[in-house]
Amino acid sequence: MASQLSRYVLRGVRFGQYSCLIRTVASRPTVLSSLDTHSRSRRDVSPTSLLLRSDVSSPPLVALYSSTPKLNREQIQDRVMTVCKNFDKIKGDQLTKDSHFMNDLGLDSLDHVEVVMAIEDEFGCEIPDADAEKLLKPSDIVQYICEKEEVTA
Amino acid sequence: MAAPTSRNVLSLYKEMMRASEKFSSYNYKSYAMRKVAHSFRQNKGETEPNKIAQLYSDAVKNLEIIQRQVVIGGIYTSNKSVIETNHKH
Repeated sequence: MASQLSRYVLRGVRFGQYSCLIRTVASRPTVLSSLDTHSRSRRDVSPTSLLLRSDVSSPPLVALYSSTPKLNREQIQDRVMTVCKNFDKIKGDQLTKDSHFMNDLGLDSLDHVEVVMAIEDEFGCEIPDADAEKLLKPSDIVQYICEKEEVTA
Repeated sequence: MAAPTSRNVLSLYKEMMRASEKFSSYNYKSYAMRKVAHSFRQNKGETEPNKIAQLYSDAVKNLEIIQRQVVIGGIYTSNKSVIETNHKH
């Protein structure tokens, strides 16, 4: 960890940029004390790739403000089924992706609203009431989320 | 006032649950959510339009109370209780 950080510091100093980065990192005393011991062991990699490295165990020092990787249909289905399974009024053994919430699982319309709220929380989206009342099976929800997230496969 | 449709009622239910979730205090939050869920289920068999309209307008008033109390509760927060310290709510 300390050697990792000291490499960041050295890179920053060497390229004369990332001054805010240096300030953050250099405020940790362990980094400064190990600075010269690691000065000879540094490798030549581009500063950008060093900052964005994904193989290090410490979290990256820059945030990537890009969108998350696209979900696929299987992931959506897994998450929908997990949400439904965890809903306390649904018995896990009766649940399939085509079971009707009211007819097969014995939920009432208020429970259905709660399921939809749980789905909203899971996927961080809002489902309007007019759409929500059409989502009567887990498979309907999967289809709806896929359309919303523009998943085609 | 015309009797609210089932869609109105369900949408009010959702709104009240979402409002109750915003309580910063665990106690108030779980009480409000339990109370809302229970009250709606208690009267779910109601068929008389006047009674439904009455219950609906009571619920709207209660929604306003919840929203007001959430704001007031947010001003006077207390330390998290032991059951919430490791969880995000």
